Amino acid sequence: MDQTPLCRRNPSRFCRQLFFDRLVRILSCGSGFVSLATLAAIFAFLAILSLPLFTQGQWGQILSWTWRPYQGFYGILPMAAGSLALSVFAFALAYPLGLGVCLFVCSPRGGLMRRLTLSVVTFMTAIPTVVYGFVSVFLLVPLLRKAMGGSGPSLLAAALTLALLILPTIVLFLHGAMRDTEKRTRLTSASLGFSPLQALLLVVLPGSAAGLRTAAIMGYCRALSDTLIPLMLAGNAPQFPASVFDSVRTLTAHIALVVATDNSSPAFHSLFACGLILFGVSLAVQAAVRKGPSRAMGDRRLAMLSFLAARPACRVLVLGWSAVSVAVVLGAVGSLLAFLLARSLPVLDLHLFFGDTPVLAAVFGREPVWDGLFAACAGTVALVALASLMAIPIGMGGGIALSLYLRGPWARALRFSANALAGVPSIVMGLFGFSLVIFLRHTVAPEANTSLLLSALCIALLVLPYTINATAQSLETLPEELRLLGPSLGMTSWQSLRRILLPAASRGILGGVVLSMGRAAEDTAVILLTGVVAQGGLPRGLFDKFEALPFTIYYLAAQYQSEHDLNKGFGAALTLLVLTALLFCIARALQARMEKEWKH
Amino acid sequence: MKRFLHCAAAVLAVFFLMCGMAGADMLQQFAGQKGKIDIAGGTAHIPVMNEAAKRIMTANPDIRITVEGGGTGVGVQKAGEGLVDIGNTGRALSGDEVAKYGLVSFPFAVDGVTVVLNPANSVSALTSAQVQDIFAGKITNWKDVGGADAAITLYTRDEASGTREVFWGKLLKKGAIADKANVVASNGAMKVAVSQDAQGIGYMSIGFVDAAVKAPLLDGAEPSQDNAKSGAYKIARMLYMNTKGEPQGLTKLFIDYVTGPECTEIISKAGYIPLR
Repeated sequence: MDQTPLCRRNPSRFCRQLFFDRLVRILSCGSGFVSLATLAAIFAFLAILSLPLFTQGQWGQILSWTWRPYQGFYGILPMAAGSLALSVFAFALAYPLGLGVCLFVCSPRGGLMRRLTLSVVTFMTAIPTVVYGFVSVFLLVPLLRKAMGGSGPSLLAAALTLALLILPTIVLFLHGAMRDTEKRTRLTSASLGFSPLQALLLVVLPGSAAGLRTAAIMGYCRALSDTLIPLMLAGNAPQFPASVFDSVRTLTAHIALVVATDNSSPAFHSLFACGLILFGVSLAVQAAVRKGPSRAMGDRRLAMLSFLAARPACRVLVLGWSAVSVAVVLGAVGSLLAFLLARSLPVLDLHLFFGDTPVLAAVFGREPVWDGLFAACAGTVALVALASLMAIPIGMGGGIALSLYLRGPWARALRFSANALAGVPSIVMGLFGFSLVIFLRHTVAPEANTSLLLSALCIALLVLPYTINATAQSLETLPEELRLLGPSLGMTSWQSLRRILLPAASRGILGGVVLSMGRAAEDTAVILLTGVVAQGGLPRGLFDKFEALPFTIYYLAAQYQSEHDLNKGFGAALTLLVLTALLFCIARALQARMEKEWKH
Repeated sequence: MKRFLHCAAAVLAVFFLMCGMAGADMLQQFAGQKGKIDIAGGTAHIPVMNEAAKRIMTANPDIRITVEGGGTGVGVQKAGEGLVDIGNTGRALSGDEVAKYGLVSFPFAVDGVTVVLNPANSVSALTSAQVQDIFAGKITNWKDVGGADAAITLYTRDEASGTREVFWGKLLKKGAIADKANVVASNGAMKVAVSQDAQGIGYMSIGFVDAAVKAPLLDGAEPSQDNAKSGAYKIARMLYMNTKGEPQGLTKLFIDYVTGPECTEIISKAGYIPLR
C-alpha cells in the first residue's frame, strides 16, 4: 500500500490545505484575542483619563458627598450610593419573585400554565430596556404619583421597573441549574419516597446551590449596569437617598448626563473614575462567578428547608408564594404589553412611519421624511447590519478558537475576557467610544468623529461576547463522534471544521448571531454617546450621524411636545419591540432545532 | 361673474407665486450645494434649527443637516472639539471658552428664562427672594408662598444647560440649588416634567411656555419675550450659534439663513424674538 498518498499525488492541493489550516488557526485565534484586547483598551482608556485626578491631587474631592461642579465640588459618592441603593433594592424585589416563579416552573403541577409562564419569562428577555422605561414613564409613574403622592420619578419607580428587567435573567439561570439537578436526582428522590414538593425543596434546591448564586450575581450585575431605566425613572438628583420616594442618580445615568463637559475639567475626568468603578465591579463579578467554590448549602439553610418541607402550613406558604410571584410577574408584563398595545395600535399606520412623504419616494431616499419614524428605522437597521458585519466573523473566529484550537491558560484568558466583556455596562462602552474619538482627533486622525461607524464598532464590541459564546457552545454541544469523524478520515482540522462541524453546529451559531442582533438593535446607552441625533434623515455614509429607534423612544419619552409626538413614541416603542421579538423568536427556533438534533 | 372669479384666481395665484419666490430667495443660495452640517447643543434652539433644516433640506435634498440637543455644554464642547459644525449656546461664551477653542458667536434671538409651575398650582406670583429660597431648599411647602399645603418638588437642569446658567446667575444670584432637585435634560423635558407634577417648580426658556405650564409673575413683572426684550423682565439672554473659527461654505450659508430676514418668521413662531 502506498504510504505517502496525498502529498505525492497532488502536492499543490495538499499544501493548500495545510496553508488553509494554518491560516484559519491563526485568524480564529487572532480574532479571539480581539475581546482580550478590547478589555485591555477599555481599561487603559478609563485609567489614563482618570489619571489626572490622581496626579493633580483631586482624588479626595472626587470621594466626597457633594456634586456641584459649578461650585467646584466633584464628589461622586452620591452616585455610587445611588447605584448601590437602586441595584440592591431592585435585586431584593426580583430575587424572591424569581425564586417563586422558578419553583412554580419546576414543580410538576399545572402543565399548561407552567409552560406559559416559562415562555412569557423567556420572552421578557426580548423586551428592550428602553421600552420598559418608556412604558413605566407613562403607566407606573402616574400610578405611583396618584397612590403615594410625591414627584413620581423616584428610587421606587426605577427599582420596580428594574426588578422586572432583571427577573428573566434570574429565572432563566435558576431554571437551567434546577432542571439539570432535577434530572440528575429524579430517581434518588423517587426511591426515597419524596413527594414532588419535598424533592424540590430538599433535593433540587440544595443541589443547585451554585446555580442559585450564579443567578444572583448575574441578576445583580444586570441591575447595576443598566443606564436607561435610572435615567428615565429615578429623577437623577445627585443626593444620598433618604427614602424610597427620593430621587437618585446612578453612576451609569451620571455618565450619560455629564459627558458633555469641557474635556480638561475635573468633572470630565471624574466620569472615568465612575466608569472605572463600574468596570471594576463587572470584572470582580466575573471572577466571583468563575472561581467561587461550588460549596454545598450550609446546615442551617438545609434545616430551614426541611422545616419548610415537613410542615403543611409552610408547604402552603411556599406554594402560595410561588403562585403570588407568578401572578405578579404575569400581571406586570401583561399590563405593560396591554398598555403599550392599547396606546400604539390605534396610531399604527403608514403616516406614523412616513409622515406626509410619498412612501416610494421616501424608501428610495428621493425625499426626506419629516414627522415619521422611517429615518429612525433605517438608522437602526443600518446600525445592526454594520455591527453584525463586524461582530459575526470575529465572534465566530473567537468561538472556533475557544472550542477547537486553544487550550490551557490562553483558553481560560479568552473565556474570561469574553465573559467580562459581556458584563461591561453599555454606557462604559459608549464612554470608551467617545474618548476613542477624542483621542484619535488629538493624535493620528484629526477628522475622526462620532458617527454610524463608531456606534456600530462599539455595538459590535458589546455583542461580540454573545457570538463568541454561542459559537463555542454550539461546537461543544456536538457529540464526540462527530468531532473525531474528521481526523479519523484524515481531514485537516480546517476540512473537518468546514465539512463537518460548522454545518452541524450552524443552527446554534446562527441562533446566537440573531440573538446578538436583537441586542444590537435595542441598545441605547452606547449610541447615546457615539453619534445618534434627534433629527437628521437617512444616513448617507459610514461617517454620518444617524437616527435610531431606541434613541427616538428615549428622546420622546422625556420631551414630547404634542399628542402627535407622544403617539410617535408609542409607535416607535411597539416597532422596536416587534423587531427585537422577531429576532428573538427566530433565534430561539434555530437554537431549539439545534438542541433537538444533537442533544440526546 | 365667472370671468371675475378667473381673474381673482389668477391674481391670487400670481400673488402666492410671488410670495413663494420672495420666500425662496434665501433658500436659492443653497441651490447646487452639497454636503452636510452637524448641529448640537442648546435645547432651546432645537425648534428653530429643526424648522430651518427642514426647509433647506426640502429645497435641496443633497444637503443633510443633523440636529441634536444635549445643552449648551454640548454645544461648546462639540463645536470646540470640531465634532460638529455649529454648537448652539443659550448664553454668551466665557472668555476661557473663546480663548481655548477659538469659537466665533452668532446671536440670532432674544429669549427670557422663566420659573414655571403646574397650571393646577394656585400660586401666580413669586418674588426673587422666594424663588431663591425655594431652590435653595429653605422653603419646602407651597403654603409658605401662598399656595396649598403641599411639599414642593424641585426640577432643575443638568450642568451642561445654558438655561440653568442664566437662571442661576441672574435670578438665584449664584446661590445654592438643593441637591434633592430632580434633574431633567432639556427645555422640552422640563415642560413635560412640570406639566405632570402638580407640586413641581422648574425653569425654562419662555419660548417653550404654553398651556401645559404656568409662568408666574416674577417681582410683579410678567415673564414675556416682549418684556425680556424691553428690559422690564430681567432674566433674559440671547441664543447663539457658534463655530470654530470663521464659518465657511455651507455652514456660513446656514448661519446667514438663520440670522437673515427669512428666518425671523421661524424664530417668532418658535416663541423667540428675532434680533433682526
